[in-house]
Amino acid sequence: MSGGARVLLLLGLALLLAGCGGDDETPGGAADLPGPVPAGTTFKDPPPGALSAPPFAAELLDGTRVRGADLWRERPLVLVFTASWCDRCADVHAEAARAVDEHGDAIGLLGIVAEDDREPALGYAEELDLGHPVAVAAERVWLNYAAREPPVVVLVARGGKVLRGWSGGVGASTLSRRLAELLAPEPR
Amino acid sequence: MTAAARCVVVAVLLVAGGCGGGGGDTRETHIRLVVADKNIRREGVECAGARPFQHVHADARYRIVAGDGGIVAEGTLPAGHAENAEPEIDWGVERIPTFCVVDFEVDLPQHPRYRLRLDRGRPLEFSAPPRASDEPIVLVVG
Repeated sequence: MSGGARVLLLLGLALLLAGCGGDDETPGGAADLPGPVPAGTTFKDPPPGALSAPPFAAELLDGTRVRGADLWRERPLVLVFTASWCDRCADVHAEAARAVDEHGDAIGLLGIVAEDDREPALGYAEELDLGHPVAVAAERVWLNYAAREPPVVVLVARGGKVLRGWSGGVGASTLSRRLAELLAPEPR
Repeated sequence: MTAAARCVVVAVLLVAGGCGGGGGDTRETHIRLVVADKNIRREGVECAGARPFQHVHADARYRIVAGDGGIVAEGTLPAGHAENAEPEIDWGVERIPTFCVVDFEVDLPQHPRYRLRLDRGRPLEFSAPPRASDEPIVLVVG
């Protein structure tokens, strides 16, 4: 093999490998976690007597470990209990993402699938391409949130109080209105 | 072709038609898998089994095994739909206690007994439907 051909071959291999890697870009992985809460954003306190959200730890689709408490420490968090095989869930998940995206990084969104759905969920996240993380959570997490059947949407206030759950999902406009109510007006 | 040869050809075609042709002795059978989970849903909405029956869902694999242990049908379940769990009650609200009902058709060869197996849960036994019956085979999960 000539020197030129060898260089071309190595270059081709390098390009091929670069295209096949990209673990950072796993849909629903750590790269989809929200950035810092926008400066000046403040949140209303949850109503007194609201129940604490059950703590949980889970693994994102790229293997990154996350804890609920870390995700709701600085901002409200919308949880969407979903499944790869459920067409209705994909619609509900996309609606939730639309509502959350209206508020930029002020609100977090975490999709949650069951443990036996880990592999198919990669395709689900890729197809939906929502730009929000998706976690694989143990059965007890589903049960702790009374998520008996997907889709279930749960709204958690900043600091970890459960504000509302919607079994069967919720439309983007309703959710967006609830999210707007959590934001405190900017001081004059 | 002589008349005799023509007769032989016809006979061969008839025999071949009887041996192949859509499974011969199979019968299309409607199976109605009822997940008795009493989950709160809107009637008619697409559904899956609620926990602890979450293994009954769209794309879940099923197998039907005859009494001799051989697999006679397999496939994946379609999505279910929610039906009023207690039709004699007028709930007066949209979201009511429901069962998730999964309807699907399978071609079953003649056997006296079958078992429907999902990836989880106990197998569900059923008998061959009577020849004249159009009623579905109802199998209850729960």
